[in-house]
Amino acid sequence: MAKDVKPTRKNLMAIEDRIELSERGHGTLEKKRDGLIMEFMDILDKAQDVRGELSEDYDEAQKKINMARAMEGDVAVRGAAAALQEHPEITTESKNIMGVVVPQIESSRVSKDLGQRGYGIMGTSARIDEAAEAYEDLLESIILAAEVETAMKKMLREIETTKRRVNALEFKLLPELYEGQEYIEQSLEEQEREETFRLKKIKEKKEQEEKEEAEAEEAEEAEDLEGGQAPPVGSAAGGN
Amino acid sequence: MSAGASNPEYVNARVRSRRAALFADEDYRKLVRMGPSGIARFMEETEYEREINQLGTRFSGVDLIEYALNQNLARHFEDLLDWSNGRVYDRIARYLRKFDVWNLKTIIRGIYTDTPAEEIETDLIRAGELEEATIDRLLEVDEIEDAIEVLGRTMYYEPLSEAYEVYEETGVLVPLENALDREFYEHLLDDLGRPSEGPDALYVEFLQAEIDFRNARNALRLARSGSGLDPAEYYIEGGVLFDESELSRLVTDYDELVDHIAESGRYGDRLSTALGRLRNAESLIQFEHALDAALLEYSDRLSSIYPVSVSAVLSYILAKEREVENIRAIARGREVGLDETEIEEELVIL
Repeated sequence: MAKDVKPTRKNLMAIEDRIELSERGHGTLEKKRDGLIMEFMDILDKAQDVRGELSEDYDEAQKKINMARAMEGDVAVRGAAAALQEHPEITTESKNIMGVVVPQIESSRVSKDLGQRGYGIMGTSARIDEAAEAYEDLLESIILAAEVETAMKKMLREIETTKRRVNALEFKLLPELYEGQEYIEQSLEEQEREETFRLKKIKEKKEQEEKEEAEAEEAEEAEDLEGGQAPPVGSAAGGN
Repeated sequence: MSAGASNPEYVNARVRSRRAALFADEDYRKLVRMGPSGIARFMEETEYEREINQLGTRFSGVDLIEYALNQNLARHFEDLLDWSNGRVYDRIARYLRKFDVWNLKTIIRGIYTDTPAEEIETDLIRAGELEEATIDRLLEVDEIEDAIEVLGRTMYYEPLSEAYEVYEETGVLVPLENALDREFYEHLLDDLGRPSEGPDALYVEFLQAEIDFRNARNALRLARSGSGLDPAEYYIEGGVLFDESELSRLVTDYDELVDHIAESGRYGDRLSTALGRLRNAESLIQFEHALDAALLEYSDRLSSIYPVSVSAVLSYILAKEREVENIRAIARGREVGLDETEIEEELVIL
């Protein structure tokens, strides 16, 4: 890459500008990456707790429904479940964590009281109530887990992207820019040296020429002096 | 009401052979060690052979067992109604109306959720008083309002019509289901008076226990849930444990409610262990378990004190229901991997 740049002072200045920008960007991205990692660690802890609770709630709900199916019969449990058509309402909003947009899931009508579950109270038992309650808790945990785990995945993706950008700046772009800068600087220095050398050579040549000229003039003068003592060749020949 | 003179001796004679065919304690102990397919095979060699063979092509595993149990129960209870006349018929039928209520609730739920008629029919237990033709007509309708019209000449029409208005406002089935259950419980003691001795006294005592236990369950569930439901709406008259105002007051104080049941002369001793556990327990299940066991104890007394009265028939009905519940509990318990001790402790009532 470095060799593709024309080694001019203008390009050197442009590269220096890019280096400055990239170094600043690198610093900022490093800070962002570190911040994201810290936020991610918090979310990870929360996600682990939520996962644990979800797993416990699932086991509890399964146990409760198994007991209800065993004691009341599958038909009765299915019947009680069929007595409600209304579904819980789930809405998603978003919030911003260090520039990462993560979902915020709000749910309503998940936990219900006895009168809202659809089935008649007189003909059912506490086993069905407890199974229904356990499943409502499970659904709440699933919604919370969905929110936390989606945030975690988005944060992770952002950390990866930021890390790639930091690495790209640190190991690719900046080294190339430094190389380019060095190349241009070296080239300019070389050009400068060449110019100096050239000027020196010109100067030497000029001096040589001047010297030769001076010598020639001197020689001419000397000849002239010698010619004053003896007749010039032309005049001697003309005399013959 | 069936015509003819009351025939408790005949019905009891027929019931005695049926009672003898019920599973004994050692049968349950064998079943607890089997898997669902083993239980189905075991049932094939017993009273349940016909139903297992009949349903074997449509269902398998625990579903086969559960449907075979329900169908067998319906067949036996239908026989009871076929054999009985007069007062005996009336006494048996009023208790078996619980299956009419079950069927009506199942059909209404099916209509509510647009379930195909064939699927609804599978879940019915045709052991009650309602005629087959009425149930078949109910299975054909698509609207709850039409189903109520089909019941025009039955005791369920009026309460369902009233509850339908509330259903239309709220969109949930609770008022309809409660109306049906209330209709069953409130007619249990119709025309029986308050006899002080004899088989009728025992019969009434049993039905009062059934009502009291239902009131106690509902009150405890309402007290636990902390929902703002009006306890008066769930109060069933006819019991001796609570009156309406007492129940409304007790529902707001869980501990006082438990104390009230514990101090009851009739049930306090029978339920003392369960009530002791209930004070600190998170679940009402063990208490409901204790209520079921107490009710079964009542039913045993019914059969032993007056063996040729309708009480003995009622005792058989309860024993048969208990058998069905126990087998189903064992099969479902084994299906979900519960061990023998858990099944014996938590599910089976011997």
